[in-house]
Amino acid sequence: MTVVLDRPQAPPRLNRVRRRWAWGLGALAVLGWSLAGAGAFAGDVVNPAGAGQFGRFASAALSPALDGEFLRVLADSVLVTVAYAALGAALAVLLGAVGAVAVARTTWGRRRLGWTLSRGALAVPRGLHEAVWGLLLVNLLGLDPWVGVLAIGVPYGAVTAKVFADLLDEVPRGGYEALLAGGAGRVPAALYGLLPPASGGLLSYSFYRLECAVRSAVVLGLIGAGGLGYQLLLSFSSLRWEQVWSCVYALALLCLLADVGGRAVRRRVAAPRSSGDRLRRDPMLSTAVLGTLAAIVWAWWYLAISPATLVADRTGEQLRYVLSAAWPPDVDGPLLSAVAVAAVDTLQMSVIAIAVATAGAVLLAGVAAHPPRDAPVLRRVTGSAVRLALLLLRAVPPPVWALVLLFVLLPGVLPGALALGVYTLGVLGRLAAEATEELDPRPRAALTAMGARPVGGWLYGVLPAATGPVLAFALYRWEVAIRDTVLVGLLGAGGLGALLASRVSAFDWGAVTTVLVAVIALTAAVDLVSARARAALR
Amino acid sequence: MSSRRAVRSGGFGEHALSRRSLLAGSAAVLAAGLAACGRDSPVSSSGGSAGSSSGTRGSLTIGAIPDQDPEVLQRLFGTLADSMSEALDLDVTYQPVTDYGAAVSLFRTGDLDLVWFGGLTGVQARLQTLGAEPVAQRDIDESFTSVFIVNADTGLTPADDLTPLADLRFTYGSETSTSGRLMPAYFLSEQAVDPEGFPAGPGFSGSHDATISLVASGSYQAGVLNEQVWAARLEDGTVDPAAVVQYARTPEYHDYHWLAGPQAVERLGADLPDRLLEYFTGLPAGDEVLELFGAGAFIPTEAANYDQIEAVGRDLGLIS
Repeated sequence: MTVVLDRPQAPPRLNRVRRRWAWGLGALAVLGWSLAGAGAFAGDVVNPAGAGQFGRFASAALSPALDGEFLRVLADSVLVTVAYAALGAALAVLLGAVGAVAVARTTWGRRRLGWTLSRGALAVPRGLHEAVWGLLLVNLLGLDPWVGVLAIGVPYGAVTAKVFADLLDEVPRGGYEALLAGGAGRVPAALYGLLPPASGGLLSYSFYRLECAVRSAVVLGLIGAGGLGYQLLLSFSSLRWEQVWSCVYALALLCLLADVGGRAVRRRVAAPRSSGDRLRRDPMLSTAVLGTLAAIVWAWWYLAISPATLVADRTGEQLRYVLSAAWPPDVDGPLLSAVAVAAVDTLQMSVIAIAVATAGAVLLAGVAAHPPRDAPVLRRVTGSAVRLALLLLRAVPPPVWALVLLFVLLPGVLPGALALGVYTLGVLGRLAAEATEELDPRPRAALTAMGARPVGGWLYGVLPAATGPVLAFALYRWEVAIRDTVLVGLLGAGGLGALLASRVSAFDWGAVTTVLVAVIALTAAVDLVSARARAALR
Repeated sequence: MSSRRAVRSGGFGEHALSRRSLLAGSAAVLAAGLAACGRDSPVSSSGGSAGSSSGTRGSLTIGAIPDQDPEVLQRLFGTLADSMSEALDLDVTYQPVTDYGAAVSLFRTGDLDLVWFGGLTGVQARLQTLGAEPVAQRDIDESFTSVFIVNADTGLTPADDLTPLADLRFTYGSETSTSGRLMPAYFLSEQAVDPEGFPAGPGFSGSHDATISLVASGSYQAGVLNEQVWAARLEDGTVDPAAVVQYARTPEYHDYHWLAGPQAVERLGADLPDRLLEYFTGLPAGDEVLELFGAGAFIPTEAANYDQIEAVGRDLGLIS
């Protein structure tokens, strides 16, 4: 019977596969080109003599600094980081909600040009890393808590606007159109016809942003905005690995709390309770939303934020100073050729990083996924260990990875790329594990029931179905990786990040503008290619 | 589809209680934080909050670029702030800064009134802030030196000739460090070694300590750093003499100095630089502040001392 049912599906599947082959071969070619560019095929890349230095970093993981005074400082930093994350995410959701109206297809209807332009405008705030925003804002606002909040809120706001708009555009439009046909204005029709069905998705995504904001708040510390990242940088610059690990553990704990809490909320939204009155408010979701609101209020109070700073005379003065120095952009020949070379390095770095992370994520996803309740103890322990390892991979900031990998690898694009790859693996591994958990468990169960070994069950029952979603996530992260290369650019790894750091430290604002334009253009281009590739995967 | 949903909701139903209590727990933690903390922003001591709270006394915010052991830096400036408050009858606050560039920008914006700058960052700050005045330097700063270090496997023995370094993988420290980048680059070019021309280009380790570790690991075969830090690391035994050795010492140059901003002078009177100089030079030998700075005494300094640094900085494109 199954044979009869399956046969008609065969031809269209083959067509889709052929298109994917083109993308797959293209991806392999780009990866080969990137590895060649990074010098991976040209002689020595490993420096075995540095193993001792790497060992110092690794062994300090077992003996983190735990003296009283340091822990007290750490606790204060944790509060600052939480406050930044809460306010940054709140601002992002606010900006996202306003921005979504401006970039939704629903708003523009058939006016494609306006829609394309408004989407394009989002590429500017989105294309710059939070740390770059922080660097620019320090110059406008000085030492003000707004720096951290805006540096998270602005780029996240742009991403959120795009996602919110997509969510609004994708909900079933029956109610909305019925309201319009019934004579309602477009605003009330959207409020009552589009918002309610989209609200679950919007809430889920808002909590996901909060999780990401915790990690971003740490990166901001690296540019001097305070918090956990600041302590980490202080300990890092004098290579006190014991203290660095204490900071990493504190961060991992925060990430874990945010992950678990956010996941609980997102699952609840995705699969509401089946029993009881569906119209009644879900007490857990209410608690989560109220708790988050309380955290935002607390963060505002704790950081002593004053809106007056944003409109103060001094801020305007500094804005004029920086703008007059930064415009027009520097377009002389040597700089432009340096930008071109750096852009190629950045691209190769991001490709290698994503390839490493994707390969790792596909291999680890099965083990990292939460096992069914009746799984053997060994499987549960391995799963927890892998999840913990992934958590630590993403809790150690990329610049730290870049330095410690440079102990065992010779300088060049490769250590920077691997640093980014390892960090991205931490993020992607978790996303892949979640995607695996969402898969239909029946093919694997069927294979196991017929006597397949666990590896065989995974290879034929899980891998084929998991590859699609994992590749889609990887393509999403590729764009993020381009922006993250800014963090690992120094140390001879090169790329646009190194160029940016060198121009910023020389206060050469005209050249900074040029490099920033290049970063934004590259990010937008990668976004475009990644969107095409994801479309081919669907 | 429906079975998937059933599995999923069954799966989390069991954990719902623990997650709920977890959320409640996080809220409690946040509430505890709320009860424990004051109203001053924990990330910014600027805006003269100390001054406004205590009425008549003026306020001064001091800062430093992070070039040394951060813990020492933290202790150093706490001690200094107390000592200065007492001697000058001002509310002095120490504001830690993580980044060379940030320190210069914050000096320009007036967030920092008195900053302990390195040679190059001092010049950058002075060029961006009209009316900024160099106040004082340490006795060791008028004859500061850097050391070139090499990995022991290179087989190089100490010499004055820098040309053998040209063929090695080479790292500087922080990009705008005077002792870890600027002056060594100048002395390299004096001996016809292209300071940007090492195999695959020079690296920037980010800090003096990272330079030592990277050269010790052999990833970079040679590097350069502040002699003060090198001597301190040799003394406390963090350097493995079998892995990394000193190759050459640079000639002397001017480095660190105190720079006072025009906004502080405007606020606290035209005699502020003189009062600051009097305070620094008047510190008795063996004073804790001198000890923490690793100095025998503070001595006067003037802008002309940094003309060479400015010229080199322009050559290297670090001042535009």
